Parts: sequence; structure tokens; C-alpha cells
Amino acid sequence: MTPGDGDDASLLASIQAGGQEAMGKFFARYSPMVYSVALRVLKDAGEAEDVVQEIFIQVWKNPGAFVSGRGSLGGWLVVVARNRAIDMLRRRRPSDPIELFALPSSTNLANEAERSVLMEKIRSAMGTLPMEQKHSVELAFFEGLTHSEIAEKTGDPLGTVKTRIRLALISLRKVLTA
Amino acid sequence: MNRAEHISQEDLALYSMQALAPEEQAEVLAHLQGCAACQTELREILEEEALLALSVEQPPLPSGMQQRFMARIANTPQQTAAANVAKAEPVPVEPLKSSGFGLGWLGWVTAMVAIAVAVYFGNHSFQLEQQLNSDRSDIAQLSAQAARAEELTDALTSPQAKQVTLTETKQPAQPVGHTTYLASKGALIFVASNLHPVAPNKTYELWLIPANGKAPMPAGLFRPDATGSASVVLPQLPEGVEAKAFGVTIEDAQGSTTPTLPIVMSGS
Repeated sequence: MTPGDGDDASLLASIQAGGQEAMGKFFARYSPMVYSVALRVLKDAGEAEDVVQEIFIQVWKNPGAFVSGRGSLGGWLVVVARNRAIDMLRRRRPSDPIELFALPSSTNLANEAERSVLMEKIRSAMGTLPMEQKHSVELAFFEGLTHSEIAEKTGDPLGTVKTRIRLALISLRKVLTA
Repeated sequence: MNRAEHISQEDLALYSMQALAPEEQAEVLAHLQGCAACQTELREILEEEALLALSVEQPPLPSGMQQRFMARIANTPQQTAAANVAKAEPVPVEPLKSSGFGLGWLGWVTAMVAIAVAVYFGNHSFQLEQQLNSDRSDIAQLSAQAARAEELTDALTSPQAKQVTLTETKQPAQPVGHTTYLASKGALIFVASNLHPVAPNKTYELWLIPANGKAPMPAGLFRPDATGSASVVLPQLPEGVEAKAFGVTIEDAQGSTTPTLPIVMSGS
């Protein structure tokens, strides 16, 4: 991030003042992450773009809702992208209250270099997960299956599915502290 | 699930992915609304899920996606500004007297056309007025910027100008690095100053972050001299790798093939 790009807070303040240029910078910073998550879930470029546009229009319309402390805004955006994409995939109406929660800001996704390194480490960590854990967490997160559906699909007990998903997430957390 | 106790991390993770049965989702939500401890747990889990989301490869964006978005926001009022935009005067329409079965519909068609034309020109006029105001503002801004630029040039080029560098009192100067990189030849020059010393068993390592989303590439080790200066000149890099950013980490003395967080210096 160069000084001219501004941090998230100053960009959001400019967006709140009606700054389209600031909105453009914000979009350029985060849309690749948001798009890639939506595409991973939906596997359709057009639908993934719809999700991206919807999320960023939400930011444009009401930046004030984000200024007042969303913690890690980049993290929040990708989680919302996943939820919106799953909603679209499963043809259900957006209803999750999860999005009301701010994420801790221990990761600086606004910084290009830090983001790239972090993503590489996460991919590497995913590559070392036991196959069953990786499969279970991906079915839940990227395919939007419930734990019952995963248990049915894999033939594993419900408790095992729950544990595998939790262990996979704990392994990813270690990336932040490694 | 026993809701008398706190919710297990397993169930919170499933809840956050909406992977519980609907009645269980509702049960967890009800508990969360009154439990700060579980809310904190949930935030931690959401952060882990953000990491999971970041595990996907980043494909190139669809062509023109940003332009489409910018065009869309140009026509989308912000909620705070909505009141200013929604000031279209209603078009008064006199009720038409019925002329019987014959041509009564013609009056309605005429009225609808009149309304459509009025709304069109109303909107058009409003947009033109906005454009005009925007252009006036741009011209004023450009004039001010030109005057400022002239003033700046005078100050920088005048032989009478005194050059003084100020630093924060009692604070060491901040580390600064400058990279010059020619992707087509894989040629890189990095010069840094005001670097903090590193432990004898450690070194600084420069990283090139490729624009194609591939893994960061090591671009040279360096240690600052007594004045805090260091440089990396023409490290071995393949040709044709576009960079989207550069970063510096602190690694063990022999260097590393993958960067160790945190990134102590970065630029893009």
C-alpha cells in the first residue's frame, strides 16, 4: 500500500463524503478477494460478479455502517462474499445475522504485500491438512452443505464431521501465529 | 447441544457457516444474543473463516468489472445523499373527461406520453445541471492546483531556497527502502537507509510479490552497515515476472524460501 492509497478508514471517510475515486480504490483493493471467493462457491463468472457488485454497492450506499469499526474489513468482506454466494447457490434468501459481527483485526488485509504473503501461507497450510479435514471444511464452507449433509455424503458420524471442521479452522489460525 | 452452557466451538463454527439444522441455528442465535463470551468466540471463528476464504486462488477479474461498478455507483445515490436526489417535482395531470367509448383511451395515451417526456426531460435537466456543477467545481479545482504547482516549482528551483531536513525529536529516522525493477529483464536494484540493526544470526530478506498471485519470490538478502544503509543489486530473478508489491522480512542468516511474517517494510 502506498501512502496515496490510504488506509481503509480514510478511504471509507472519503467514500462517505461521496468520493467515487476513493470507492474505486477500495474496489480495486478488495474486489479480487471477494470475486475469487464468490467464484469458488458459484463456479460461474457472471453470478460471482453479481455478488461482488452487490456487496460493494452496499458499501457505497452506506459507508457509515462500515466506518464505525468492522475490525478487519477485508476479512469481513470475504466472509460476507462467501455467505452471499452460498445464498445464491442454495437459492435461499439472505438471512444470516453473522454479518453483524465485526471480525478481529489481527490481519492487515489492506496491505498488498502482507495480504499476498498471508494468502500463500494459508494455501500452504491448507495443503498440509489431513484430507478428511480439508474435505469436510470445504464442503461446509464452499459448498454450503450442513453437517448432516456432509455426514451423509462422507458416511462419517456427525460428531466426527464437527470435530474435523473445527480442527481445520484451528490449523488455519496457527498461520497467524506462526 | 446443551444451551444451558456455552456453545461449543464446533457448533459455533457450524453456526457461522449456517451448517446447522434451522432449529439449531435459531437456538444458537438466541443464546448468542445474551452471551458476550460466545460472541467473542464467534468473532475468532469468523476470522478463521476469513483465512479459509483467502485460501482460494485469485483468478483475473472479468474484463471491465471495475468500469461497470464505477458506472453503477455514478447512478446510485448514497443513503445520506438520497434526500437530495429525490427532489423530482411531481407532474400534475388533469383528469381527462371521458369522451365515451370512442377515443377516450387516446387521452390516457397522450397523458402517459406527456408524463414520460416530462420525466425524461426532468431527469435529463437534473443530470445536466449536476454535470455543469461538477465541471465548474473541477475547473476551480484545476486552477487552484495549477497555481499551487507553480508555487511549488518556484520554491523547489529557487537558488535562494534553503534545504533543511527535519526529523522527529529524539526519534530515530524511519527505515526507508527504494526499489527499481525492470520486469522484462528481471533486473532489480534496492537501496535502503535508516534500517534497524538485526541480530547476528538474522538477516533482512527482500521479496518480490508477483502480480499473478504466485508465491513471493526471494529477491536478495541484506544487512545494514553501521549507518543503517544497505542495498541489493541485480539479484538472480527470472525475466518477465510482473511485480505487484515488494516486501522485506527478517529471516535466519541463511535466508528463507518463504517469507516469515511480519513484513517489516512493504510497498506496491
